[in-house]
Amino acid sequence: MDYKIVMPVLSDTMDKGKLIKWRVKEGDIVHKGDVIAEVESDKAIMEVQTFKDGVVKKLLVKEGEEVPVKTPIAIIETEVEAKEEPKKEPKSQPKKPKEKPPQPTQKPKEETKEAAPAVPPIIQELLTTPITSIGGKASPAAKKKAAEAGIDIEALQTEGLLPKPAHLKDVEQEILKRYFTPKALQLLKDYRIDPYSFELTHKIDEEEVQAYILEHDIPQPFPLSSNRKAVIANVQNSAKKPVYFVYETFDIRPYENIKLTSLLIKTIADVMQRHPLTRAKLQGDNYLIYPNSNISVAVAKGDDLYMVVCKKAQAKSLEQIDEWVGGLKNRTYTPEELSGSTFGISNLGMFGITRFSAMINKQDCGIAAFGKLEQNRIKVTFTFDHRILNGVDAAKFVTDLKNSFKEQSDV
Amino acid sequence: MLYREALNKAIDESMAADKSVVILGEDVGRYGGSYRVSEGLFAKYGPKRVIDTPIAELSIVGNAIGMAIAGLRPIAEIMTVNFSLLAMDQIVNHAAKFRYMSGGKMTIPLTIRMPGGVSRQLAAQHSESYETMYSAVPGLIVLAASNATYAYHALKAAIFLNDPVIFLEHELLYPMEMEFKEIENFDPFKAEVVKEGEDLTILTYLKMRYDVLQAVPVIEKELGISVEVIDLNSLRPLDMKTISDSIKKTKRVVLVEEDHKTGGYGAEVIARISEQLFYELDAPPLRIAGEDVPIPYNRKLELASIPTPDKIVAQIREWSQANGL
Repeated sequence: MDYKIVMPVLSDTMDKGKLIKWRVKEGDIVHKGDVIAEVESDKAIMEVQTFKDGVVKKLLVKEGEEVPVKTPIAIIETEVEAKEEPKKEPKSQPKKPKEKPPQPTQKPKEETKEAAPAVPPIIQELLTTPITSIGGKASPAAKKKAAEAGIDIEALQTEGLLPKPAHLKDVEQEILKRYFTPKALQLLKDYRIDPYSFELTHKIDEEEVQAYILEHDIPQPFPLSSNRKAVIANVQNSAKKPVYFVYETFDIRPYENIKLTSLLIKTIADVMQRHPLTRAKLQGDNYLIYPNSNISVAVAKGDDLYMVVCKKAQAKSLEQIDEWVGGLKNRTYTPEELSGSTFGISNLGMFGITRFSAMINKQDCGIAAFGKLEQNRIKVTFTFDHRILNGVDAAKFVTDLKNSFKEQSDV
Repeated sequence: MLYREALNKAIDESMAADKSVVILGEDVGRYGGSYRVSEGLFAKYGPKRVIDTPIAELSIVGNAIGMAIAGLRPIAEIMTVNFSLLAMDQIVNHAAKFRYMSGGKMTIPLTIRMPGGVSRQLAAQHSESYETMYSAVPGLIVLAASNATYAYHALKAAIFLNDPVIFLEHELLYPMEMEFKEIENFDPFKAEVVKEGEDLTILTYLKMRYDVLQAVPVIEKELGISVEVIDLNSLRPLDMKTISDSIKKTKRVVLVEEDHKTGGYGAEVIARISEQLFYELDAPPLRIAGEDVPIPYNRKLELASIPTPDKIVAQIREWSQANGL
């Protein structure tokens, strides 16, 4: 396009101006703001600037000549700069990861608004061509996006790499494939990072994404499993209960070939038979006292925690219970097995913990937390629900339990 | 609050606030209005301000225009939009054009209320929706009230606007219990984003709003998407800003209207979207509209002739499969 520079009106009274000196010659590249000439008004000598980028096509006035204001003095060609003077190109064209003909990587909107400084002709052509002329079958939004990112929908559809018709999400996927390695994409997905937080000027690999994650300290989200959600609900509910703790140390002599947990379950189950409230659930205005000793046992499996219930434990032999305990780790549990208990046990002794306290499971009246067995002694912390067992009830139960373990170890 | 109570509240408060507000129409006075909208107003404001008219729509609107020119703010009630055809010359040739013909010297501060749409077995001559006709007349403002809150605020605004307003209601809405809240500086010309969503914009108005809201949870669950629902509220002028903001986000648009598809109001909306938002669209726009038949009397056929929640779900399902959603 031709852009005409006119003799400026430099003062209210000026009606003619004299061109004193040209600062450019025909064929020169000029940029917005460059001084192209000096002119003399009735008052002073001033500089004339160009307000557009381009090439000086023609100087219309000779030095020393006087012309009326607003007369064109020079013509600037505003389109052909790039091939004339590639060095001065203000924007470096990002390298394409694909060997396609150069297409715009910048948004056409922005480009046109900026009066297109030194744009390669092919881009200029694309920008002035309506988007509908971009080939392939795709939605308008997909074509617009493809034009912005230089995606050749038609070629990709011929190769079968894009569905027909292509929609926005297909083109977006294609853009991402172009700028991210598969591993990098996976990372973005894992960390739920918006790919457009990156500057899409080169192929981005895993390392770059990793660096971004470190720099911005982005956490990796891990969705909660349904079990984890259940555990959270369980402990939150448990934290609301009015509980108190009883601390004791038991003398326990483990049996050969029998797991300690099995011995604990069996002994507690037997003692529970003599203390009805340990078999009780609180429901409305009633205690529901169950005839059997149903004991929930904390089992860690992977990252998950389960409270698996050993039903009718008083009726089972120590060997039967040991077999049940032995099978716990390598199987899944039915909802049936995860409910129906009134008392629980948790054992962290195998991790070398000497003493800890535990949260009551669901509707249980209490739980016993066992630490590490040291010289046939073990530290136990009981958590009791005060709504079900008062201190005296708990004291009787714990003492009975303590004596039972002692008798076993004395035998 | 019942929808009709919201309308009654708007009229009552306007009449109390300004003595120039009067209502006229068939059975609006002693009977309290065919849909009980003007209930209690005759006793409160008397026969000079609550005027029972003969069954003559042309004269109802003609008289109202005369009142408006003379300085009153009349609210004319036409029993249903179907009868408004009889008043068409007064509405289109006089109410809409008077301000222009007088070089702006006179205005017509007139509100014409009329319910339309498919009710229950009122048959072809009492079931039409004429929003498309009134929206095509320069000089008229057309508002469509789907809910109590909008009905109250928009009707009040209409009464005190100095230009003629066609105020559309829907016959099935009158006895509906609705949430109501008073809003300061209410803009009757703004569309309402009823529900926000990311993947699909559904435009609707009047009673179809409720059918759409029933269909949306099913669509969202079945297609695993989130849907934005916009109630257009003002049909003329149309709030393209709200529509445009939504479509720029979701890239897909469905319009649900009860009126016949051919030449329906939705055609105008979709045409504007195509003109202004073509490059934002990631799928062809979809119109879910009434069938191109006079509304049948038989209840099953009547329902078959207009969109229902089930049909909305089915058509969006089919359309989404064909268009990569």
